[in-house]
Amino acid sequence: MSEIEIEGGPRVPCADGDTLLAAGLRAGLGMPYECNAGGCGTCKVEVTAGSIETLWPDAPGLSDRDRRKGRVLACQSRPVGDCRIRLRLDPACVPPVPPRRQRARLIGAADITRDIREFRFATEAPAAFLPGQYAMLSVDGGPRRAYSLSNIANTAGEWHFQIRRVPGGAMTGWLFDAPPASVELDGPFGLAHLRPGTRDIVCVAGGSGLAPMVSIARGIAADPNDGRRVHFIHAGRAAADLPGAGWAEALIGLGARLDYRPVVSGDDTGGLPRGFAHEALAAFAAGRFDDFDYYCAGPPMMMQALEALLLVEQGLPASRLRFDRFF
Amino acid sequence: MNTETFLCRAADVPDGGALKIERAGRPPLAVFNVGGRFFVTDDTCTHGEASLSEGEIDADECVVECPWHSGAFDLATGKPCGAPCTIALKIHAFECRDGALYLLG
Repeated sequence: MSEIEIEGGPRVPCADGDTLLAAGLRAGLGMPYECNAGGCGTCKVEVTAGSIETLWPDAPGLSDRDRRKGRVLACQSRPVGDCRIRLRLDPACVPPVPPRRQRARLIGAADITRDIREFRFATEAPAAFLPGQYAMLSVDGGPRRAYSLSNIANTAGEWHFQIRRVPGGAMTGWLFDAPPASVELDGPFGLAHLRPGTRDIVCVAGGSGLAPMVSIARGIAADPNDGRRVHFIHAGRAAADLPGAGWAEALIGLGARLDYRPVVSGDDTGGLPRGFAHEALAAFAAGRFDDFDYYCAGPPMMMQALEALLLVEQGLPASRLRFDRFF
Repeated sequence: MNTETFLCRAADVPDGGALKIERAGRPPLAVFNVGGRFFVTDDTCTHGEASLSEGEIDADECVVECPWHSGAFDLATGKPCGAPCTIALKIHAFECRDGALYLLG
């Protein structure tokens, strides 16, 4: 156990093995971050006293300029003894549910699409998180990866993940081929969670971005006071990636308030509309972009195209969009 | 029709500094002075709501760093050159005449 002092701010304890970011979030601090995986570059801090060890020295979230100026990524830095750091805390980043580490038992698995399988874990304590958040899963001594939750908070302690098999991926190979009896679950994390609002929402899901968008839609379905409609654009490379409207409805449970819109980017459309996610969105929302709030999750190319459409072309304020990016 | 709008006097922007220009009903602009070279861009970072005129300027690379998350933009092109920024910053055409800067277009 060490102690981290935020310059001009509080001191927080840091458990052995925790990063600067995890320690701050566990203490409820508004530490800016997004991916918790070294990719986004949102959690840069300066270490002004003490020292840290860097988990990933070449993390793409840091530029040469950042390194020259002595910045480090809070999500990739573990304190070695007590330290002091300088950063700008942001009230918008205060975690709604502070993350914690727990043991989680694997209680079930079922295929969702040809390469996405739902894994269900259970913790002793209730599962506390907001729709659209993610958790870090790790095996003892093995890889540690971020996976979005697909269910919603529950007292039974169940945490569901819809995980896409990555060919050659250490973590998914292991999860799919030799599933463990239990894992360490650290979470929840993420700020792209469901927010209250009066506008109907558009969810855009691509690849394993399916899980957080399903969670968001389920969050709306589960709240009797939330009457919003959900327009759900589900993008796949082939028809086999998209199990269909009946499947989506059974999964989400929104009834007539769910408007499921599959779109296929490759040749094998199986009779479904062809195009990319941003094209499907542009066609759907033409002339009425301002009527919706947007939640999007998917691979980098898809997210860049959606950003270009919604922020640059349509000029929507960033507060109307929640993006769950993968790095 | 081409129009031009007075932005500021060149002397209002110190070397190595920036000036925020508020505009009625339109996003604010930032005027940067890098060793006597001026640049006019949107003031609001494309990643968050931060004001880039409060950011750190790297004269050697002609880059401004956002004060919130140290994302960075090339002032000459607007291209993002430091995470977490991914969307280009809008660059505005201007004219410097008689010690004053005028926005064009």
